[in-house]
Amino acid sequence: MLTRSTPSHRLLLRLLVAAQVLYVLGVAGAGYATTAYGRHIALATQPVDLHGLQYESFVRLRYTAAEAPLTAWRGASPPQRRQAVYVLLAPGPDSLATVAGVYAQEPKPTADQAVLRGWVTDVYPRTLGLRYNLERYYVPGDSPLRLAKTGPPLRVQVSIAPWGQARIEAVRALRR
Amino acid sequence: MSHKFLETESPAWVAEGIITEAQRERLLARYPPEAVQAVGLLPLLGSILVGLSALSVVAANWPSLPTALRLGLLLGSLLAAYAGGEYFLRRGNRRLGHGLIGLGLVLFGVSIILTSQLYQLVGYDVSGLLAWVVVGVLLSYLYNSQALTLLPIIIGAAVQTYCTQALGLFSYATVGLVALGGGYRWWRRPHPVVASVLAVGLLWQAALWVALSHSKITWFFIPAMLVYAAGDWHRDRPAARALQGPPLVAAYLFALGLALFGETDQYAGLLRPPVLAYLGALAAVFALSVLGKRQLGRLASLPDWLLLLPGFYLPGGLPLAVATLVVLYAHAGSVLARAHRSGEAEQLTLGTVLFVVATMVAYFKLTWAFLDKSLFFLIGGVLLLSLSWYLRRRNAQRLAAGVASTVGATPALPSSSENGPAR
Repeated sequence: MLTRSTPSHRLLLRLLVAAQVLYVLGVAGAGYATTAYGRHIALATQPVDLHGLQYESFVRLRYTAAEAPLTAWRGASPPQRRQAVYVLLAPGPDSLATVAGVYAQEPKPTADQAVLRGWVTDVYPRTLGLRYNLERYYVPGDSPLRLAKTGPPLRVQVSIAPWGQARIEAVRALRR
Repeated sequence: MSHKFLETESPAWVAEGIITEAQRERLLARYPPEAVQAVGLLPLLGSILVGLSALSVVAANWPSLPTALRLGLLLGSLLAAYAGGEYFLRRGNRRLGHGLIGLGLVLFGVSIILTSQLYQLVGYDVSGLLAWVVVGVLLSYLYNSQALTLLPIIIGAAVQTYCTQALGLFSYATVGLVALGGGYRWWRRPHPVVASVLAVGLLWQAALWVALSHSKITWFFIPAMLVYAAGDWHRDRPAARALQGPPLVAAYLFALGLALFGETDQYAGLLRPPVLAYLGALAAVFALSVLGKRQLGRLASLPDWLLLLPGFYLPGGLPLAVATLVVLYAHAGSVLARAHRSGEAEQLTLGTVLFVVATMVAYFKLTWAFLDKSLFFLIGGVLLLSLSWYLRRRNAQRLAAGVASTVGATPALPSSSENGPAR
């Protein structure tokens, strides 16, 4: 084990630090690549609560796709809380995605469908509660949401990369 | 020794003729007032405040900064921390150097998290944060520093917590990296603090695994006792005991809970894993532990395993509670017996406390339902008082006898009484 600062020791540290910088840049690159190569869908949310913005830099989004009827469940065994699932999304009216099925195993989507991964939060008698890890939206400093008085329902543009990552690309008020 | 203490006490020493006035002055000069140290802290406090102000400016404006600038700030502070650490290490200031390198490691994790946040990016496996654990383990081997050894253990526990809670999966890579990386480090350079933190970190991950897999909570003790068994194979006694402390505490609390609540079959039912699988795994770990103990001549600590007796397979109700109480008494008795043999005062205290706890649980179990409440407390108090009096007397006698016999046996070497047991 090296204890003193020898040249080879310093070289190792430099390599390790360089690897860390490259890794962080890689994370940023994955962000761009997800937009470039991903499948794009739009999700609608319930009206958001903007009060939290006074204390935190994010708002909590409640997607309409966060609740699915139990009849949409496609799995061998009944769904369990905290189970990881694949949600098949199909474009509905106004090109907003709706849940076409909740799968325990990854399904094959058709050309206009997309698969978003999520988790079961609750199992109710008739419905399933779902979570996508996209519930926290970090509001940029120039977003109109920061000036808004009341929280409107939002239209959230999400892109899903073929290698499984997903990101929120854009958020704007949902016109009804 | 504090200057103030000397200043107030020493005139009396001169008056009583213990030291002369000249000696008193030399003593006072030997221990100068400590104001100098406080002044030395001022630059450190000042730089912390300046750093905090910079941090709060950045944090307040974080969402409105351009993306490239945010990324630059993160990577810049990462590079600055590592460069500063290496600079101070080269100048010979090890503590500051290692501190800054640790800061660099923390900043690496922060950068990963904040960069994903910057792009509103989510992943569905642990690979993003696994790199943090890998770098932590590598750094701990690159430097001979205790803090840098502890950091990856803590980071591993944090990453595993996030992974199980947010992603709903258990990262075997993380627990493997911490167990192998931290474990090898402990094996080569044993240190009690590292050992304890390592054991707690691994137990935490084991608990997360049990919670996530919806297994019976008794499965927790298979990995926990593996950690314990690893301690049995280490030659360095203090480091081995430090590693074994957390698993033993967990096992003791579990046995105590069983004695207190085991009567209800519902609770006991939560604890019963498949008999053959559980007992087989436990027996394998037990064999490993016994082999280690025999190899290093520590079979005296074998009664530790009493706490792991799978009494929960007994039918719930009074038999289970009573059986667990017997086990608790046997364990406390074994600790006391070992302490009497070795003459270690700390072990004696521990054994006494364990014995008193077992007595309290037994008394609570057996009499709460039958006695009037005021009578219950009265008798319980009297019981404890008399027990404490008896145990203290016994301990004092045994310790005195032990010291006397050691000194008596080797009058030429009076210091040998400090070295431990007289067989």
